Formats: sequence, structure tokens, C-alpha cells
Amino acid sequence: MKKQIAVVEDEPALRENYAAALARHGYLVKTYGNRKTAMQAFQVRLPDLAIIDISLEDEAEGGFDLCRELRALSAELPIIFLTARDSELDAVSGLRLGADDFLTKDVSLPHLAARVAALFRRIDALRRPDNAAEIVRRGALSIDAEKMQTTWNGAAVTLSLTEFWIVHALARNPGHVKNRQQLMDAANVVLDDNTITSHIKRMRRKFQQVDAAFDAIQTVYGMGYRWVE
Amino acid sequence: MSIRLQLLIVALTTLVLPWAGCQYARELETTLRSSQEKSLLASAGTIANALSAQPQRVFRDANDGHAFAPAGGDLYVYPLSTQPLLDGYRDAWNIAANPTPLRTTSGYHARAQAASTERYLYLYLEVDDKHFVAQPRDPHPDTDRFDRVNVTVLGPDSTPILYFFGTDAPGLIAAQSIAKGEDGVAQVVTEARIQAFWLQTAAGYHLEARIPLSIVGQRLWIEALDGNGNGRAGVDAQALPDGGRLYFATTGLDTLLETFIRDGTRATVIDANALKLGTAGNLIASNKDYPEETGATWWYRYLMGVDTTDMPVLPSLPDSLGGDSVQASLAGRPHAQWALASSNRELLLTAAAPILVEGKTRGAVVLQQAADQLLALRDHALTRLFNLTIIATASAVIVMLAFATWISVRIGRLRSAADAAVGSDGKIQLRMPESGSGDEIGALARGFERLLGRLNEHTQYLRTLGGKLSHELRTPLTIVRSSLDNLESEGLRDGQQRYITRAREGTQRLQSILSALGAAARVEESIKQSERVSFDLKEVTESAVAAYRDGFSGSRIELNLPEGPCFVRGAPDLLVQLLDKLIENAVDFCPDTGAISVRLSREANSYALQVGNDGPLIPEALVGRLFESLFEQRQGRDDKPHFGLGLYIVRLVAEFHGGTATAANQADGSGVMFTVALPLI
Repeated sequence: MKKQIAVVEDEPALRENYAAALARHGYLVKTYGNRKTAMQAFQVRLPDLAIIDISLEDEAEGGFDLCRELRALSAELPIIFLTARDSELDAVSGLRLGADDFLTKDVSLPHLAARVAALFRRIDALRRPDNAAEIVRRGALSIDAEKMQTTWNGAAVTLSLTEFWIVHALARNPGHVKNRQQLMDAANVVLDDNTITSHIKRMRRKFQQVDAAFDAIQTVYGMGYRWVE
Repeated sequence: MSIRLQLLIVALTTLVLPWAGCQYARELETTLRSSQEKSLLASAGTIANALSAQPQRVFRDANDGHAFAPAGGDLYVYPLSTQPLLDGYRDAWNIAANPTPLRTTSGYHARAQAASTERYLYLYLEVDDKHFVAQPRDPHPDTDRFDRVNVTVLGPDSTPILYFFGTDAPGLIAAQSIAKGEDGVAQVVTEARIQAFWLQTAAGYHLEARIPLSIVGQRLWIEALDGNGNGRAGVDAQALPDGGRLYFATTGLDTLLETFIRDGTRATVIDANALKLGTAGNLIASNKDYPEETGATWWYRYLMGVDTTDMPVLPSLPDSLGGDSVQASLAGRPHAQWALASSNRELLLTAAAPILVEGKTRGAVVLQQAADQLLALRDHALTRLFNLTIIATASAVIVMLAFATWISVRIGRLRSAADAAVGSDGKIQLRMPESGSGDEIGALARGFERLLGRLNEHTQYLRTLGGKLSHELRTPLTIVRSSLDNLESEGLRDGQQRYITRAREGTQRLQSILSALGAAARVEESIKQSERVSFDLKEVTESAVAAYRDGFSGSRIELNLPEGPCFVRGAPDLLVQLLDKLIENAVDFCPDTGAISVRLSREANSYALQVGNDGPLIPEALVGRLFESLFEQRQGRDDKPHFGLGLYIVRLVAEFHGGTATAANQADGSGVMFTVALPLI
């Protein structure tokens, strides 16, 4: 059965372009121009994935409100924010509301499709019984690339997709310095240096919630970051 | 010219007040003087009229019609108030004038003076004769030779009578005359009514004689004869029958004049020969209620006083008066004149009016007043006026100067604030001093504030324009790119791919421009959210430079670090970004052969992080603006667009750390040095 994706975007041309690209990858795409029509449809039937723009028509933060309402309907529904707004604050707000990823509109359609596929893969993997095929273990860290799940000392660390790919890229070659560009490439995102820095900070904080003594991601000034065991 | 100077000059125009005061005073003085002249002249005229009504009390002798000729033996008879004792001295006469020399042809000198009381005529003679020749006993005056004085009087019956004085023993003597006895023989008789005192002195002898006026008529000849030879001085009645006139001052005229004159005025009546007939009054007022002369009065008089250098000087003679007024009045015209007294240079107003008797000028009344006294009261009042205007002017100048200073200080404050309103970092100071004032300067300050407010809004608008633009353009750009993505996915005909690729390159460039435009806002925001920790600046610099050496292998980077750790408080990530930007900038501008120097040093209150390069110098005009957002006028070595955000980030990061970022050309012109000062913990 085809996965159903809801695209909530107030710019018709963009909406149709996203819809066309995703449809080409075999998804069933429903598009909505504003929060009201989207919410009406969601109350009838939930999609498998929602891609939401933050500002919707005359509501500057309508996307956030929609995300909140959607989370109230379903705790597991994957949500991706796709927006022209690239500020740090927006990203943090979106992720805090329970979005699974936060992408700027600079992302290319193939990248978007890859993201969507990855997200679905993680959900599917979570539903399947364990197979230890794609698991990277580095000391206390274990990364399941299949399920896109991260644990530290056995405790789950909830990372967004972008964060997951950054940790994955760092941990695969411990001790190697990855510069910001490399990390962006690994995460398939276009971000500026400061956003990478704040992603790193947020990841550290998430690990430190599990283990206060966490110190595995090290800053190499002037170059980038590395994973130390 | 400063406002203070301008207002000072304006204030100086108040000097016109004392000037006008001076002019007024001068006019007043002229008026006063002319009215004084008129009034004195009127007084003189009145007195002259009064006197001409009673000429018998004024003109007693008949000689007035003849010209006064001392050479002809004419004598002025001074008035005496008391009867002097006969002692051979004239001290008791109290007459300032010296005796008049008698006419002489033989080198024999004698001087004579005459005075009179109501009853007597007094004669005084000084004869220079060192050899006394005594009168022989029982002399014969025609033949005997002895020192003697002949006095011939014209008796009431117009018969000349000769009296002579001679003695064998100086002292009190009587006059002698020669009378023909009944026997017809001339003999010497003593005239007891005529007393004299013969005083022998070292130079000769003095003779003081008293003759009753009943004997003396209007003429009198005096001749002194030497007993040793032919020397003689004086005139002889036979030789000069028309000489020897006596000009008497009029007895009682002084008292008469007293009734006419005011205090402070001197009145003199003169006859046609200008000889004094009577005098009354004093130039110095007895009731001296004039104010004291003060220093202010003195310099006022110095400034305003009458110029006396060209004033005529009145001759001062004891027996007569002179000057234009006297001449004019004796010619029949009343006349007033300002002149100086010859004795003490005192300024005198002289008014003279002729006394007409039966249509003929027989004499004149001359009134004199001291000008200084006249003007003293006026001086006092005017001096006060003058002083007050001077004080008023000085006060006005001081007040205006103070006011000008105050205005100038306020404007200066406003000007400094206006100069400093837009800082070198582009920040705008919205508050102006003086804006609370209700006057025009306050209005100006408020005008400045409004202007700066608008400028600030505009600056803010420009500052955020980049971010807004980048945001607004992003959606259409995304539409183009996603459409290209879709187009590519739909499959393309041959040859179409290259256009797609070009379109993609174009969008890519647009994308990077938009990122740069929005970057400033993003950087500002991310800096705001950064956390501050203590970290070792030296360690961070060292590791960052190590990375740059790898990253920019084409450039030579020299590192210079101080001893010991350098802890600062801030965000190490941001500081590395700062270094990134400085190094990128240095690499862009440093020539291949040059070196980039990174230097960290500890100063008194801060750490100085310096990045220098050997690249081209910064034009002086741009030095202050390099750190502005989106400012870029320098051409780097590559063709990359320089949006000038790098140095703006450097400034933001430095300011986040409480420090400053500056750029300067090396003193020796070898290159450019960027310095970031960060405060010590």
C-alpha cells in the first residue's frame, strides 16, 4: 500500500513541485494550502507523514500550531518542517514541538525524497524485530543505522534525523576530525556553520541528559569535530 | 567668529550711552556757559546802568578823560583802608604792586607809589643813592646841594606849590617850602601839615610822606635830586606842566559795589584808562557748599573739561584791568570772555559793560567769576550720570558676555552631541542634550532628535533589508530549483540537460548571494544565544592556527604567543569564527610571498589578538568603516564576491566578548594589522 504524505504549504507552485516529486517516488501525496483545511482532513484520516511549512498564509506560525494539534492526535506520526525560515530559534522550536526533522527549503528534491525514505525506514525498522546487521558500537554508544536509533549505555537518545546522521558520521571513524562541510554532507542538509555548531551543542545536551559525564564529541578549533572514545 | 565675540561686539554698542552722555554733557556745558555769560553780562549791564545814574559816586577826579601816562609822571593812587604809620616802609599799605620807576635820564633811579585814604594822600619813594648828602642848616634850596625830593602840588586854586623833603638826620621830618617873606626874601618854611619819614638804607633812602588831600589837587610832580651831582629822577612841574596827574580810586565805591554783587563774583569798576576805581567781592565763594572734588570728577573733567590751551591769559595788574572784554567795554560794547587768570591759570569768566555818562563811555563794570566753581555743581551731577552709564554699560557687557557664553556652551554641547551622534560603529545616539529646553536651542535639539530618530529607523531598515530580502527571495528561488529538480526527473531530451545545468548554476549563485545577505542576521542571532564559558585563548588560538596551516598550505602563517595561559570569558566557537574570518581576510589580501602573522599578547587591561598581513594598505577613509555590515570596497585576490560580512562578524564577536576590533596600516607601510582587544577576566 502506498504511503500517504500530507504537504501543507501555502505557496501553490512549491506545493505542487513537492507533490510531483514525492508522487514520482511512489507516495500518495495530499496537499493543503492552510492550517484549517489540513486539520479538517487530518481529523478524518491521518497521513503517514506530514511535511509542514511554518508560515501558512496569514498565520506566521501556523505550522507550529498545526504540529501541536497533530501531535495531540497522534504521538507517533512523523513530522518534517520544511521552511524558508532558517533561524536557529525556529529550528529549536520545531524540534521541541516533536518534529522529527527540520529542513530548510534549500534542500533539493532528491534530498527531500531521501529524507522521507529514511524516515519511513526508521519507522518500519522500529516495527520489525531486531536484526543486528547495521549496528555501530563505539564504547557506550551504539548506533542502529537501520532503525536510526541511538543508545548510550543502553539508554535511548532521541535525535532528529539530521543529528542522527551527524553522530553517525562522527562515530564511524573515531578520532578523525570532520569539518562542518563533511558533517553537512553526511546529513544531506545545507546549513551554515552556526547551525552545525548549535546542532552539536544540542546533541551533547541530549547525551548529557542520559549521562552527565558525556564528553565524546570534541571540538577541534578551526577544523571541526571528532568522536573520542 | 564665535557667538561670544559677536555678542561682545554687539554689547560694545552700549558704549554709545556714555558717548551720548558726553555729547549731552558737552551741549549742556556749552549752554550753561553761554547762559552764564549772558547772566553775568546782564549783571554787569545792570550794575553799569545803576552806576551811570550816579557818576559823582564813581568818577571823582577830572583826570579820567586823559590817557594814563606813567612816563609823564602820572600816578595811580591806590585806595587804603587804614591809615598807615609813617615809618619809611610801605608794608602797611598792603599793595601787591611794586612802586613805579620814575623817569630818569641821568642813571639816577627812583621809584614811587601813591595811595590815599579819605583824608590823606600817601607818597612812597625809593631812591637809589648810596651817598647821603645832608641838608645844611638854614638851607637855600635854589643853590644848596643836598639829597632832596621835590613834590610840587597843584593847589586848589591851580597854583603850583613846591614842597621839598630834605634832612640832616633821617627820621620823621616835615616838608619844607620856599616862601617869599613880607620882605620879599625867599626863605624856607616848614609845612607841618605834610609829614614824612626819611629812612636811610644801604642802597639809598626811602621816603614815606603824608599829604592832606585838602592841599593836593589833581596833579602832583615828584622829583628826586642827588646832593652829589646832577642826578635826578622824576618830573618837574615846569618841564612837564601837563604831567603828574593823579588817578584816584574812588572812595566808597567798594562799599557801593558790595551791594550789587553775589557771592563768588568779583566786581571791578574801571575808568576809561582801565584803572581800577573800585573792587568788591571775591572769586572764591564764602559759603562753599560745593561737593568735594573726587577722583571720578577729576577724570571726568580730564575727559570733558574745557580745553584751556588756546584760552587767552588775562594780564594781572594791581592798578588796572586788561583783556578783550575790558577793551571792548571801554569802546562802548558789553563783552564776555573766558580767559585764564595769569596768577594761577584759573579759568575765569569775565563780563564787562560800559558805564555811559551823558552818552560817553567813562568807564566799565567788570564782573568775574571762576569757571571751576560755576561748573562744580554741574560736574557733580554729570559725573554721577557718567558713572552710572559706565556702570550700566559694564554690567550690560558682562551680562551679555555671560549670556553669550551660556548660549555658546549650549550650542557647543549640542554640536559635540551632533558630531558624536553617529558613532564609528554606525550606532546612533538618539538623545540630544538641551532637548528639554523650551527655547530655540531646545527646539533645535528636538529637531536633531527627530532627524536622528528617522535616520535610525532608516538605518535599521537598511540593516534588516538584507535579511528580509533573502527571506522573501528564498521561496521563489526554491520554486525554480524544485521545478528544475522535477524537470530533470521527468527525463530530458538530448541537449536539454546543459540548459538545466546552467539554470542550476544560476540558482546556486543566487542561493549563495541570498545566504550571504541573510547571514548577518543569522550570525547576530546565534551570537546572542551563545553561552559564555571561561577558556584559554592561547590554546584555542594555537589549535586554530595549526588547522589554518593545514587548510591554507599556500600561505606562511607565523604564530607568536605569550607565556602562560590566557583565560577569557566567552564562546570559544565564536572566537574561532573570528579567527577564521581574520585569517580568510588575510589570505585573500596577502601576496604569495608575504607572511601572515598571528600574535597574542597580554596588555595592561586586555589581551590583544593581532592578525597582520603584508597585503595592500587600507585607504585612510575606509579604516573606520571596514567593520560595517556588508561593507566591501577592497578587491581581493580571487573573484569571489566579498560581502564584507567577515569583518562585521569579527566586530560582533569582539563586542560579544566585551572587546573591540580595529584595523590599521602598519606604521612602516609594510602591511595591514587587525587587532582584537579582549578584556582580562
